[in-house]
Amino acid sequence: MRLLTKSSVRHLLHHRAQLVLSVVGVALGVAVVLSIDLATQSARNAFRVSAEMVSGRATHQIVGDAGALGEGLLLRLRTEAGVRAAAPVVEGFASSPRLPGLALRILGIDPFSEGPFRPFVVGGPAELDVGAFVTTPGAVVLSAATAARAGVVPGGALPLLVGGRTRQLRVVGTIEPGDELARAGLADVLLMDIATAQDVLEAAGTLTRIDLLVSAADSADRFPRVRALLSPGETLAPAGTRAEVMAGMIDAFDVNLTALSLLALVFGMFLIYNAVTFSVVQRRALLGMLRALGVTRGEILRMILSEATWIGVSGSAIGLAVGVVLGRGLVRLVTRTINDLYFVVSVEGIRVDPLLLAKAAALGVAATLLAALPAALEEASSEPRLALLRSEREAKSRRTLARAAALGVLGLVGGSLLVVVPTRSLGVSFAALLLIVGGLAMLTPAGAVGLVHLVRPVLRQISGSLGLVAARGVVRSLSRTAPAIAALAVAVSVTVGLGVMIQSFRGTLERWLDSTLQADVYVSLPGPTASRASGTLPPDLMDAFVGHPEVAGHSTYRGTDLTDEAGAFRLVALALDPRAEETFQFIDGGADAIMSAFRRGEGALVSEQFSFRRGVGTGNVVDLPTPAGPRTIPVLGVFYDYGSDQGAVIVSRSLYDQYFDDTGVTSLALFLAAGADSESVVRDLLDLVPPGLTVIARTNDVLRSASLDVFDRTFQVTAVLRLLAFVVAFVGVLSALMALELERARELGAMRAWGLEPAELRRLVLTQTGLMGLVSGALAVPMGIVLSAVMIFVINKRSFGWTLDLQLGPMVLAQAVALAVIAALLAGLYPAWRIARTSPATALRGE
Amino acid sequence: MTLGRVALGPMTLGRATLLGMCVTLAAGCGDRAPSPSARLSLLETLSGADTAGYERALAPRDFVFPEDHGPHLGFRTEWWYVTGNLTSTAGRDFGFQLTIFRSALGSGAPVSTSAWATNQAYMAHFTVTDVETGRFYAHERFARGAAGLAGASAEPLRIWLEDWTMEGIAPAGLPVRLRAAEDEVAIDLVLDAGKPAVAHGVAGLSQKGPEPGNASFYYSHTRMPAEGTLAIGDDTLDVHGLAWLDREWSTSALSEGQVGWDWLALQLDDGWDLMLYRLRRADGSADEWSAGTLVDHRGAASHLTWGADVTVESTSTWTSPIDGAVYPGAWRVELPGRGWSLLVEPRIPNQELDLAFRYWEGAVGLRGVGEDGADVTGRGYVELTGYAGEAPER
Amino acid sequence: MPPSHAPPSPPSAPRLELTDLRKGYQEVGRTHRVLDGASLRVAAGERIAILGPSGSGKSTLLNVISGIDVPDAGTVRIGEVDLTALTEAERTRFRRKHIGFVFQFFNLLPTLTVIENLLLPLELKDRAGPQEVARARALLERVSLADRADAFPDRLSGGEQQRVALARALVHEPALVLADEPTGNLDEDMAAQVAHLLADMVAGERGTLIVVTHSRVLASRMDRVVRLDHGRLLEESR
Repeated sequence: MRLLTKSSVRHLLHHRAQLVLSVVGVALGVAVVLSIDLATQSARNAFRVSAEMVSGRATHQIVGDAGALGEGLLLRLRTEAGVRAAAPVVEGFASSPRLPGLALRILGIDPFSEGPFRPFVVGGPAELDVGAFVTTPGAVVLSAATAARAGVVPGGALPLLVGGRTRQLRVVGTIEPGDELARAGLADVLLMDIATAQDVLEAAGTLTRIDLLVSAADSADRFPRVRALLSPGETLAPAGTRAEVMAGMIDAFDVNLTALSLLALVFGMFLIYNAVTFSVVQRRALLGMLRALGVTRGEILRMILSEATWIGVSGSAIGLAVGVVLGRGLVRLVTRTINDLYFVVSVEGIRVDPLLLAKAAALGVAATLLAALPAALEEASSEPRLALLRSEREAKSRRTLARAAALGVLGLVGGSLLVVVPTRSLGVSFAALLLIVGGLAMLTPAGAVGLVHLVRPVLRQISGSLGLVAARGVVRSLSRTAPAIAALAVAVSVTVGLGVMIQSFRGTLERWLDSTLQADVYVSLPGPTASRASGTLPPDLMDAFVGHPEVAGHSTYRGTDLTDEAGAFRLVALALDPRAEETFQFIDGGADAIMSAFRRGEGALVSEQFSFRRGVGTGNVVDLPTPAGPRTIPVLGVFYDYGSDQGAVIVSRSLYDQYFDDTGVTSLALFLAAGADSESVVRDLLDLVPPGLTVIARTNDVLRSASLDVFDRTFQVTAVLRLLAFVVAFVGVLSALMALELERARELGAMRAWGLEPAELRRLVLTQTGLMGLVSGALAVPMGIVLSAVMIFVINKRSFGWTLDLQLGPMVLAQAVALAVIAALLAGLYPAWRIARTSPATALRGE
Repeated sequence: MTLGRVALGPMTLGRATLLGMCVTLAAGCGDRAPSPSARLSLLETLSGADTAGYERALAPRDFVFPEDHGPHLGFRTEWWYVTGNLTSTAGRDFGFQLTIFRSALGSGAPVSTSAWATNQAYMAHFTVTDVETGRFYAHERFARGAAGLAGASAEPLRIWLEDWTMEGIAPAGLPVRLRAAEDEVAIDLVLDAGKPAVAHGVAGLSQKGPEPGNASFYYSHTRMPAEGTLAIGDDTLDVHGLAWLDREWSTSALSEGQVGWDWLALQLDDGWDLMLYRLRRADGSADEWSAGTLVDHRGAASHLTWGADVTVESTSTWTSPIDGAVYPGAWRVELPGRGWSLLVEPRIPNQELDLAFRYWEGAVGLRGVGEDGADVTGRGYVELTGYAGEAPER
Repeated sequence: MPPSHAPPSPPSAPRLELTDLRKGYQEVGRTHRVLDGASLRVAAGERIAILGPSGSGKSTLLNVISGIDVPDAGTVRIGEVDLTALTEAERTRFRRKHIGFVFQFFNLLPTLTVIENLLLPLELKDRAGPQEVARARALLERVSLADRADAFPDRLSGGEQQRVALARALVHEPALVLADEPTGNLDEDMAAQVAHLLADMVAGERGTLIVVTHSRVLASRMDRVVRLDHGRLLEESR
């Protein structure tokens, strides 16, 4: 219908402000969704590409369950199992002052075994000088791009910090891999001869793994022979299993971010719903006229939906561009959080995947259409009365109110039921959250009416009859005011809910740190991730530290990261000083009995996350992977752990030493004599550190605030998304309020004709919007509390396995109301100004 | 013996070339998936080689056994080169070659805590010629000299690369047991010392060029009775025959103008052994450093000057199916001073090793007129290098 | 000018026949019967005025006549077609081909020009090609607004808008023209002008006209006047 389309387009363009706001709302929603998708996908890609590069063409891998693999296996694989394509690998992490911020992956290989495996080692345009590679002390080969970044050329020195020690490596060559993917995957790789790697990582005697290349045809024959050679504690697995498990670590994190990003889009939908509804209501008489002329319901529907489509398409297009820019910024935050909490990954930039662009665009258009659908359907299905009285409309909308309230209650009930269902599924949890939020949103109109009634007498006191008019206006035009109030209430409640959740989390973390950090000084080596210590403290240095005159006692900690089919976890061996008794808080209580059993080496303590993920609790057993095979150990207790969301299994050092031939200590906790000054002791200890070794020694306070820093950093992404979502919501509210007030322009303009001054008119409009803001804020408070409760007790628990205490401060709630009022007032400024400016005549003439 | 003349020196060039190239290509030479890149030429590899820090063959020295059977790690290259002709009890003829090369990757011994640290790399070639079926099997391996993967020692006498081994079975020195297996072929042979070791050049020091140190230490056991089993396909056959062990170590560089050589090791039925090498220049002519050694039935050796004492001419050609390279197909060897005239022919034509380095090394038979004008037959091995052009591109 | 008798019906102008129409609305406890046995017969080419005070259900009657709404009981026949027996989609399609409307306000789409508004029913009916454009322009000429063809409605006065509405109502050669208080919003002079044009142009197109109004002046220009009284249609002498 050419003319109808023309009419639609001109209508959109004529109401520019509305159009711009709608497009901006959609654009922001799409941008947020796309940016998170790009950021997390880029991080995942980088991890996968890196793992694939490092894994090469290997089909299978032999790994040690307890971390390290014995060296004698390689020869036997070749001579006894007939697997000639077997390559030993030693891996580790390091950093270099020449490449700040980049976590470097040391890859130690045997060039003579590499032919079938890693094409970048052999076969590149610049052939590896094997002689120099194997015999030059500290020889390293890295990608040409990284070498350029570090400002080093072949022959030059590259300083490296690994396990606390600073070494000088010698660059003996560079790799220039053919394709972009390989370049990305190799960006953080330091290729070394296996002997060099063992020296640098102080890992003589063990391998990280042995890569195998076994064709499908040979596997039936070879694998039994291979397995026959393996000791207990050594496993043959398809290549990439470990990488898959590790990638799975960030699944929950991923889902949470995506949910948050979708929130922005949902707010965008609210905005569209409002805008389309308003636009339809504005033209109701005309649309009725068109129906009278013989335009079918379907054509009306198509017309309204096509208007929405224009908005959706243009908003999505802009959103794609903004999303890419936003993604570039977010990927840094996301990557840093992954590095802080999960595993080492370096992401150079985002890869703009066309598929993600298409997905975001489709989502944007679909969301717009979905949001426009109710108004379009309603209009198309309504009777084209030639004179539809406003009062009838409002009576109808009051009926709708009752219906909406009923739906709201239904949503709440449904959501609550879902919450109660015992499931780990994040999908179900988020569906519950959506139902609850939706239900609450549907109840806001009813709540608004109620609140306004309550407030009216007060308003009359403050603003006289103007106040009454304002109040009445809110209730009478409920069909228009309700969506705006609901949108603002939901936006503020989400902000409140997230804020409360973060605050509760932080508070819980703080309390946990208070009880866990009992010692005065903590010593460890710098590691690749911020939150987990790694490496081995030099024994003589440890002795020197412990021997400091002010040190009255110490605990030692040995941590190893392991993976099994159920996921990744940390195995910890603790030698606890008697002073550190209250370190753990157990879910079931009974700390004394548990700790004495623990000291006697009778079993293991598992963290809440470990217990949650594997369904292992007090009284169950856990299979401890040791070099000699799995050992069954009873679980003595489940403790709260907020250090990470991956599980932990803790055994006493005596128990550990029974099964592991490992005397190393990863970190040291020192208890000082009464009255000792922690800061000066730390200074003394650092003086004892020989040159070339870097050791981190921190007082209790410093460690505590460093841990909180990591936490704050982690939630930066959440904070950014929360802000963006709120901006979208604000845009929606602005558009709704603007539409509302402009619709009433005629009525208000008439007041001008009666003698109301512009200033008084402005005050009226602002009082009305302010009232709406107040109502939204008041409604947002209970909504926010409910939301935060769901997020804390359901979402967080199921995503990450944490038990958090809900911490609600009056400040947060007061802030919510203030935020709502301010937002509403701000949104009301433009309409107030415009209405006051309009001459009465123009207003009376109407649209 | 001519002072300062290189007797068998250039031999080292050839094999050092082989080794040197393969070490540089080492990363690609694993498990039959060699590197596709790096067009290295014979000349480039060896002329650019770094010789600083290694021991050099400066002056003759007495060989001391069993110590000298073992490795001389201070020298850059070294090999244990065994070839032989075998016959099964049923009369089936075979040829075999087992060579283990050692190449130093750097001159200093490594300072490391790692069991993988080494400055030695090993390469091995194992071939079997089945005369009856006309099939030729050739395999190669590479490994570092660490973590038990490859190595050499004099006492106990053991040279190995994974499960290809040369082990002394007596308390010291020879005899030595050879074992190697890959895919369809395997050997398990015991080699007796046979005639005493023959020192080549000037008391074992074979000079290659004018500068001191451009030389190698070189000895051979030219006639080692071999006994054991050879497995081919599903059959394991009892075999016996004669083997030849070449031992050489050096830190030397290539001479200018040489592109390859033909090396012949012949064992005549009348008890004489003849070792010849014809160094070849770009235009196909024989280089002046070509030479040979004649060993009598007691093991006394005499040096042969090219042209005057011995001539070798190829009498036919054979074309490689791989890249069309043209190899000599048969040779006429004449010792004019003794009236010897021998026709040497490969047992089967295609004994070309299609490995990281391509060359021809195969079992040959001979007939003709030998010592005292008597008719004579014999067996032996011939090695032809430099015919396949540049290093293989795959 | 009153006709002495109904002119012979040209084959294209159908009759309108309303038979015992009933329609009521629920309102706070009681049923308000807007139409309570209304019947009417209109010959082809007749011009009828339906009088009645505001709120008496005149608009409802028009809704039912045009097929926008269905009566609770009774039939509406336009020519051979029983409108009340059709589905909603069919009624809509019938309406777009055969019925023209003039409303009291909101006649014209503000986002289309005058000529585009005129072309709208043509496009709805079939298409708006050069022939149709010519016809639209001719009609515009007829209401003396040819020079405002490319103006937007908000530039026109109330009377001019109604004149365009008139032309728009006739542009697709409808069999029946319905007008709902077409002069309600206009001043006396304008109202008279529009009333004259309305009666004249419909006659010129040989259409059948039903005007709902409370203006006796307008009613006096019609061939027949009927009153809607307590849900029934009563003939009235003018």
